Amino acid sequence: MTGVSVRQKVGTAVLKWFTEPVPKGRIAAFRTAVYLFVVADLTYFTTWIRDHVDVPGNLYQPLFIGRVLPLPVPTPGLVSVLYWALIVTGLLAATGRLPRLLGWTVFALYFEWMIIAMSYGKVDHDRVAFLMALAVLPTLGRARHGDRTLTEAGGWALRLVQIAVIATYFLAAWAKLRYAGIDWLTGATMTRAVLRRGTWFSSWTVEVPGLLIFAQFAIVGFELFSPIIFFLKPRWRYWLVAYFYTFHLVTYLSLTIAFWPHLVAMLCFLPLERVRPIAWLRGQFSGGRQGGPLPSDQQPPPSPTPAEPRRSS
Amino acid sequence: MNQPVTAPVVARLVSGGGTLPPVQNETDDAQPRTERLSRTGRTIRVAVALIIMGLMVVGNQWGEDDHFPFGPFKMYSSTDPLNKPVPDTRVHAINTEGERFRLTMANTGFRRAEVEGQIPRFRANPELLKSLADAYHRRRPTRPKLVRIEIVIRWWHLDGARATGEYTEETEVIWTADGADR
Repeated sequence: MTGVSVRQKVGTAVLKWFTEPVPKGRIAAFRTAVYLFVVADLTYFTTWIRDHVDVPGNLYQPLFIGRVLPLPVPTPGLVSVLYWALIVTGLLAATGRLPRLLGWTVFALYFEWMIIAMSYGKVDHDRVAFLMALAVLPTLGRARHGDRTLTEAGGWALRLVQIAVIATYFLAAWAKLRYAGIDWLTGATMTRAVLRRGTWFSSWTVEVPGLLIFAQFAIVGFELFSPIIFFLKPRWRYWLVAYFYTFHLVTYLSLTIAFWPHLVAMLCFLPLERVRPIAWLRGQFSGGRQGGPLPSDQQPPPSPTPAEPRRSS
Repeated sequence: MNQPVTAPVVARLVSGGGTLPPVQNETDDAQPRTERLSRTGRTIRVAVALIIMGLMVVGNQWGEDDHFPFGPFKMYSSTDPLNKPVPDTRVHAINTEGERFRLTMANTGFRRAEVEGQIPRFRANPELLKSLADAYHRRRPTRPKLVRIEIVIRWWHLDGARATGEYTEETEVIWTADGADR
């Protein structure tokens, strides 16, 4: 009998963990960040994808998913249509309007964009968490910036993105064991990476005996232990997220490699509802005239930004 | 009579359901209310989460890059002995003017890693390199035509984990405009 109740308790705890409520304002802010990054990714961060437009179709080697669906061989027309459609729908989706319709459209277009990107002989590993964000956001309805109302559906969506972020680290350590074995720790992977891609920031490290071997132990250690983030109190969780961002900054300075989409997806760990640049700007321009008190259940969270009236639902 | 359904109900139907109406926390006005999931909505979501996690783990252990987005996270997952030469894959081209230069992502739209990924195909069928020439001609329409492309792997030698500055080159594949040969 106690076995059953323990099992029930564990089951309930698991269900609750997967759907821990978050403020709708956090969903709104995350949504804006994710969809704006889609546009930034196309126009700035990953412009080489569009360059595939000039590569003849016989060099297109579709991924498994591209063979199953089956998706067309990219032509200049298809690539241009996808490109502009993503920019327009990405910008519209960033406003938070028609979240399901625009969200699913952006997801479908961006996923096809990724399949085109990775079907010419090289698959990148920097955006699984970002794809997860694009896949879960359309399951959520309208969310307004600054809205404190808690949502379990939103909590589930952010939880899935968090899981994908941490899986990117944890499974990367696992893959090192799969492909290289325990020898990876004492091998020359980092040395060779610095020799191939090193910068002023990192080139000296190959001169220091044992330093890059130590770095390899540290990397695998951090990757394997990254799931502890799910057991930390917010304060420590934010410090760990800061550590993750620092790790990527050091990687960028050392090897000029940055997982930009992953870095955007990782925002899901932060209390984004407090970041409200538009409300802040509005407050600046209106000289605080709109900053009057709201009914108590519509008060925004403590923040230096003035309040924006919430539309009653 | 003309309003059989209320607006919020329509809104809920349009938005796809899955959630119960918001529950107002009556006891404490300072606390934000919580929109709870129905039992079904919660069960389905947790099941989806577990399936996705399962696919990620299975893909990581048994999948390949081909299974994107559920392939292995194999960035920097290989290892080599310290002093094994470092490969540097280069695509050299010669045009009708006799100029010799490198084909890169900038002038073909094809990444170096993609050249490396498709080397087995190029080896088996050097005529495929004509497609790289075509890509170059599309991006540089005013430049002289290419007559020869070679994929060369330059092996940089190391000593004590330092580049010695010496290298050896291996020509992997050759294509000429008159007809491919190896």
